[in-house]
Amino acid sequence: MILPTVSPIRLLIAALVTLPVLYLDFLTYQSGNNWLGVVILGLLALGLYIYLSPRAYTFRYLFPGLFAFSLFVIFPLLYTVYISFTNYSSRHLLSYQNVAELLEQDSYIVPDTPCYDYVLYRQGSAKYVLLLVDQSNREQRFLSEPFDLPPGQTVHYPTLVKISAIEPSHSIEGEPLQIAQITREGLFIPLRGYQFLLPNGQTVEKEGLDQFCCRNKIWKRNPDSSFTDQKTNFTIRPDFARGIFIDEKGEQIGIGFRAFTGLDNYIKIITDPEIQFPFVRIFLWTVAFSAISAAGAFAIGMVLAVILEWKEMGLRKVYRTLLILPYAVPAVLSILIFKGLFNQEFGAVNEFLHAVFRFAPQWETNPWGARAMVLLVNLWLGYPYMMLICTGMLQSIPSSIYEASAIEGSNPLTDFFHITLPLVLPPLLPVLIASFAFNFNNFSVIYLLTGGGPKMLGGGSAGETDILVSYTYSLAFRSSENNYALASAIATLLFFLVGTLAWINLRMSSRRIVY
Amino acid sequence: MKPSHRLRLKKMLAHGFLLVALALVVLPFLMVLVTSLRKGNFPPNSLWLNPDQWSLEHWKYVLNIPYSEIVNPSTPPLHWLWNSVIVSALSSAGIILLSSTAAYAFARMRFKFRGHILQSLLILQMFPAVLALTAYYTILDSVGRHVEWLGLNTLPGLISIYLAGVSTNIWMIKGYFDTIPASMEESARIDGASPFQTFVRILLPVSAPIFAVVFILSFIYTMSEYPVASAVLGTPKTWTLAVGASSLLREHEKLWGHFAALAVLSGVPITVMFLLCQRFVIGGLTSGGIKE
Repeated sequence: MILPTVSPIRLLIAALVTLPVLYLDFLTYQSGNNWLGVVILGLLALGLYIYLSPRAYTFRYLFPGLFAFSLFVIFPLLYTVYISFTNYSSRHLLSYQNVAELLEQDSYIVPDTPCYDYVLYRQGSAKYVLLLVDQSNREQRFLSEPFDLPPGQTVHYPTLVKISAIEPSHSIEGEPLQIAQITREGLFIPLRGYQFLLPNGQTVEKEGLDQFCCRNKIWKRNPDSSFTDQKTNFTIRPDFARGIFIDEKGEQIGIGFRAFTGLDNYIKIITDPEIQFPFVRIFLWTVAFSAISAAGAFAIGMVLAVILEWKEMGLRKVYRTLLILPYAVPAVLSILIFKGLFNQEFGAVNEFLHAVFRFAPQWETNPWGARAMVLLVNLWLGYPYMMLICTGMLQSIPSSIYEASAIEGSNPLTDFFHITLPLVLPPLLPVLIASFAFNFNNFSVIYLLTGGGPKMLGGGSAGETDILVSYTYSLAFRSSENNYALASAIATLLFFLVGTLAWINLRMSSRRIVY
Repeated sequence: MKPSHRLRLKKMLAHGFLLVALALVVLPFLMVLVTSLRKGNFPPNSLWLNPDQWSLEHWKYVLNIPYSEIVNPSTPPLHWLWNSVIVSALSSAGIILLSSTAAYAFARMRFKFRGHILQSLLILQMFPAVLALTAYYTILDSVGRHVEWLGLNTLPGLISIYLAGVSTNIWMIKGYFDTIPASMEESARIDGASPFQTFVRILLPVSAPIFAVVFILSFIYTMSEYPVASAVLGTPKTWTLAVGASSLLREHEKLWGHFAALAVLSGVPITVMFLLCQRFVIGGLTSGGIKE
């Protein structure tokens, strides 16, 4: 292999690529994402090494593909595994830092202090002053120093502005603003960030739209990361094992935060009856669904392929083109169409069945009816792929074999079971396993057709037609609990299951495939 | 029975069987066509319309022509189709760009851990995107706080998730490269061409069919992708066809007529495109290593 040396042009290009990335990295670091900054820097160094060093020549070709693969496949996968070891859910949504900051900001109106009416004056183009009038003693007035209000932007809380007493007769420069005007110009947003320091040392801030009041923080953060209620001297501290704040008795106070909980989610799947019961049922149904879908689609596809390979049949091309349609039409559309056709009261399927057989199955409300519908639709969607694969296989069998067996007086059925199937099945086994694995995670057909329903009695958010992926989805996104962590734990288990299948498949087919 | 009669009977049986299969395939689509032309919003259930049931209201809705006193929606349904086409085209092109050089390296170069990397590509991509949805959602959410056009609710954000399709396609393209004899590249190399030159000048031009297959397959896949798109895209303006079409069939307000017109209008071009490229696609499926 010829190894090119580093040309000046290549160096120039490398420099031109490096500079903006370095700038981006600087911005990332500034915004507080230190780790991400380190990762970007590392990737940049790796990229430079690969594209400049002759020793890494092969990796110049591998880099784009493997980089995308790490970023879009491996990273989300690892992140999912990470989430599965936490308690991330709607009850533990924010990080500890965020929750602690929220606690620090909790405040109350200090009793026995006056509230103030206010007028905001605009001075010049961008400076503002605030006039406060004591609601209990209107003679008592205060005027602030000038401050900025960038329209629509937040101002870091608390920004202190001094405010001093004035005589009621004092005239104020500038244009007084109405509340409507303040809202329209987006000035309340920056105003929220200001605290005004009265001469007596108290601070006041905006309270609602029409007054300023004296507020005090409820919680004081102690050096040992516990918080003390300043009114009642009540102390809470974070429990990092459970992701909540607790009082002395161990009761939860306030909202929880994200915490590392180890194997809790996995233990829950095995031991918690509320999850274990639907999990086992859904698992069995998932296996049955995938097995029937794969085997059924294969059987239908095979029969159609055999008939269409019969040379004496007319119109084979027309048949074949039309029979591929379910594969060609976007599956989302077909699935939704079937949702209409299987409609219990008005759908075509039941109108037909009722007219001919006086029988109208409950495709939507009966668990077995719903399962049958899901399977029928999935077979309809899946057989064309199998038909295409089987056709390819059949065409590769030399016709001399059939001629030989015809001389011995065979019939088509014995031909099929004694010649075709034994020849075709071993090379098709990996395809069948792949199809099983694909259906194992066939989310769309379940979710769009039944949404997992009808509901499983005593199964929480689980439904009778739910397969593991759709159950995972509803745990994370459809239940009020938004249990992302539990969903991620099930996802991790599923990945190991399907990954093992893929690995076995690879072992089996590696006899045919030469790397 | 005479042999010729038996053959006739067998043929008739075969035709009968195929016709039943055809009916099961074609009738649903015909019913959808009828539903799109029928007044009101009923699920597809007949092949026949009485003259007083005809109406073009659903087609007017889809084509954004005012048709009643009700104001048309702010996002015309065709916008969803357009979004889908952009997302599918860009992510398919992106996948080809990112995976072709890697496929070349796997097919033609020998390096450490080659087999292991290839195997792990295959095994790791079995992890379906639905399962990583929480991760994708959180990642896009935090990316969007800093780079708004790449966050949640944006098409570039969705496209970047779809780029996860590289692994399958590295395999497919590599499988095709393997079938092309290396002798041409050898002779070019002897004439002094660098590996990159042989890749661009010699291998790429003869590999057009596999790129067509990869493009079409990933185009169709992303066109149909529902779960990721529905989680990432929140506002009707950014919806793809899959999300928009299913939004017409909400639990308590099922607009079957609207849906049918949209399905016909958007399904027909995609289907025709697939059928036209059928030969390539079937060739790509049945040859070359690993499928789907």
